Amino acid sequence: MATLTKIYSDIDFTFKPKPVTGDVALSYDQQAVIRSVRNLLQTNHYERPFNPDLGSNLSALLFENISPSTTVALQNEIMSTISNYEPRAKVQSVSVSVLPDQNSYSATITMYIANATVPTTVTVLLQRDR
Amino acid sequence: MAGANSNIQVTDLDFNLIKNNLKTYLQGQAVFQDYNFDGSALSTLLDILAYNTQYNAFYLNMVANEMFLDTSIRRSSAVSHAKLLDYVPKSNVAPTATINLRVNQVTDASLTLPQYTKFLSEAIDGVNYNFVTVDSYTVNTTANTANFIGVELKQGIPTKQTFTVDSASNPTYTFEIPDLGVDTTSLLVTVQQSSSNASYTVYNLASDYLILNSSSTVYFLQEGIDGYYQIYFGDGVLGQQLSDGNVVNISYIVTQGTAAAGANNFVLMNSISGYGNTVVYPVVPATNGGNQETLSSIQFQAPKAYSAQGRAVTKDDYITLIQQNQLGFAFDAVNVWGGEENNPPVYGQVFICLKPAGAYLLTDTQKKQIMQNIIDPVSVVTVQPTIVDPDYTYLQLSTNVYYDPTKTNQTSSQLQAGIISAIQTFGTTTLNTFNSSFNAYDLLGTIQNYDASVITSEYTLKLQKKFFPSITNPETYNLYYHTPLQRGVYGSSITSSPGLQFINPANTAATIDNVFIEEVPQQTFGVDNIVILNPGFSYQSAPTITIQGDGTGATATATIVNGSISSITVTNAGNNYTSAIATVTPAYGDTTGTNAVLVVNLQGQYGTLRSYYYNTTNVKTILNSNVGSVDYVNGIITLNSFKPTEVDNPLGQFAITATPTSSILKSTYNGILTIDPFDATAISVTMTAKTN
Repeated sequence: MATLTKIYSDIDFTFKPKPVTGDVALSYDQQAVIRSVRNLLQTNHYERPFNPDLGSNLSALLFENISPSTTVALQNEIMSTISNYEPRAKVQSVSVSVLPDQNSYSATITMYIANATVPTTVTVLLQRDR
Repeated sequence: MAGANSNIQVTDLDFNLIKNNLKTYLQGQAVFQDYNFDGSALSTLLDILAYNTQYNAFYLNMVANEMFLDTSIRRSSAVSHAKLLDYVPKSNVAPTATINLRVNQVTDASLTLPQYTKFLSEAIDGVNYNFVTVDSYTVNTTANTANFIGVELKQGIPTKQTFTVDSASNPTYTFEIPDLGVDTTSLLVTVQQSSSNASYTVYNLASDYLILNSSSTVYFLQEGIDGYYQIYFGDGVLGQQLSDGNVVNISYIVTQGTAAAGANNFVLMNSISGYGNTVVYPVVPATNGGNQETLSSIQFQAPKAYSAQGRAVTKDDYITLIQQNQLGFAFDAVNVWGGEENNPPVYGQVFICLKPAGAYLLTDTQKKQIMQNIIDPVSVVTVQPTIVDPDYTYLQLSTNVYYDPTKTNQTSSQLQAGIISAIQTFGTTTLNTFNSSFNAYDLLGTIQNYDASVITSEYTLKLQKKFFPSITNPETYNLYYHTPLQRGVYGSSITSSPGLQFINPANTAATIDNVFIEEVPQQTFGVDNIVILNPGFSYQSAPTITIQGDGTGATATATIVNGSISSITVTNAGNNYTSAIATVTPAYGDTTGTNAVLVVNLQGQYGTLRSYYYNTTNVKTILNSNVGSVDYVNGIITLNSFKPTEVDNPLGQFAITATPTSSILKSTYNGILTIDPFDATAISVTMTAKTN
């Protein structure tokens, strides 16, 4: 398979139109997988109909006091969610750092995406919103 | 975009199957490929689509179900469908008990027991129930005592509702009864002119819509939402219309249905007109209660009520009408047949046989009520309906059960008790109704299936008929077993119980106790009659009849008319025959007579009954050598001029037990096969351990 062939294609959740055609924008390959990971981390258990296990339990952890153990729990939760539900990504490392002034965490995920030779790094800001 | 799999399967209702169908559909295109990954936006969209599809599919399925009487799950839907068939589901029905009440130390000339006087029942399953009088009773006092005879009590709490008519807020004049336990047969509806004008009119339940007009003071009854009943009034065309300001008063009894069935002892809750010295005598325990009709019963009954159309023409019309009576009677079983099926046929009559719930027989008053209120108004003019009592045949079963004690942790007596209760359950479920049948296979299967340790079983079956002999007048009793009976041999002869008392024929001032009835032993089998199969011809004089067989002594003579045999007279029945033939020999000198063929019928269809007792020295003594007869072939026992002076049984009930020749029994017409739950000897089980 030629490397330029787009093997993953998904709708972009922003639903923005393409400037020229006016069609809904799509995201491809690496971008699609990163989107998927972000979706999984932002989905709570019991959010999807008939699939209560899908997603992660991050929002519950964000209501815990900031502590090293919460940080580790967040790391584990992120790793297990990706390994359970995103077969296209293999996590190399997850580092969660505390941002006390913003009442939030910053999670940096380094992962190999299938068909890509170099690891991809995604940084997600985890902040409770309610 | 569309490919080979572009057709979406639309038959599935399950979320996951719907989603898989959508995925299969997406396999046919190349633009969106991430539908299989749970985190993808496409997967989220598929979830929403599938959820929406499933939601709609479920909703449509449910709507479709609720659209039909057969499939509706919600009671309100079935009730609404039944409404189209003019069917009102039955409400709870209060059980009725009868008592006699004596009030002592009354100084007034007469005393009134008012309507809704409260009584409290004995505890049934730990609960005491309220009973009330539905009528008021007035009696004159005698010697300062007032005796109220045959007071009817119904279980429940009397309740009243008042509604003011306002056509603006209630244009259909519909009023809901806010009690689920209402007994709609107890509804009393009156309409008062206004809150300031107390004159009122009684409104009755509308029944025949053909005779309604604009001034008929009737109300209509229907079941509304969630099992609550509603009454509504006419529109000025069918039934009188109410006007604003009228006050509708409803009174009724809220009952717990069958819960209080069997209550027999009651306590008066308050004094009557200040007289508190009262005694309550039980007469008839609480029976004939009923619970609100179930969904499945509505689905079953409504089409049948529709097909009866409020007329009693066919057999099923009668059954439906009686089952749906508004009198508050409940029946375990109803059977109806035309008189032409009787033997001999009785044309122009319909026979109705009813087994009341929780009792054996209907009282005469109940029969009269059923005839007057249910059957007569709707029956065809030229047909005469008759209510007959059920004819109970009681089964007496004794079984031997062989079991393997190593295959069970129950003791012999536990197994025995379990098997007895299994047979009782078998009796109540398969017998105990009209047109039921008993067969050995089912009985033995019940025993076999009771426990894995049962190896095999055998049984003997006897049939018992019970009746109440008159002790004042000699009468003839016919007991119909509806099946051929065995001739008495040792162990299976006809027996009777309990002991009877008769006047001593030798000394009419004295009596003899413990008299029983049995068959006269039949040691001889003679010739009963000879049937002419072919009378022959050209006999010049009466031919000689010769009877040959394994017995001895039988003789017969022939009579000829116009050269043919017209009759045969048995002059000596002989004895000890088990088979016999008759040959015809022309008289000496008669050369032309020929061709007559005869068939010999041996005795055996009939037997004789006698009564006996054991005298003071314990010698069996025959009291009367012929008290009746047994028709073995038709299964009928007849007692002639039977008049014991006493029956040794608190109820005065007498039973005769006989053995049927067949183990397959069927009840027809008014016959009911049953195992008496109150007879401890009806089922006996002998356990034998076998370990091989």
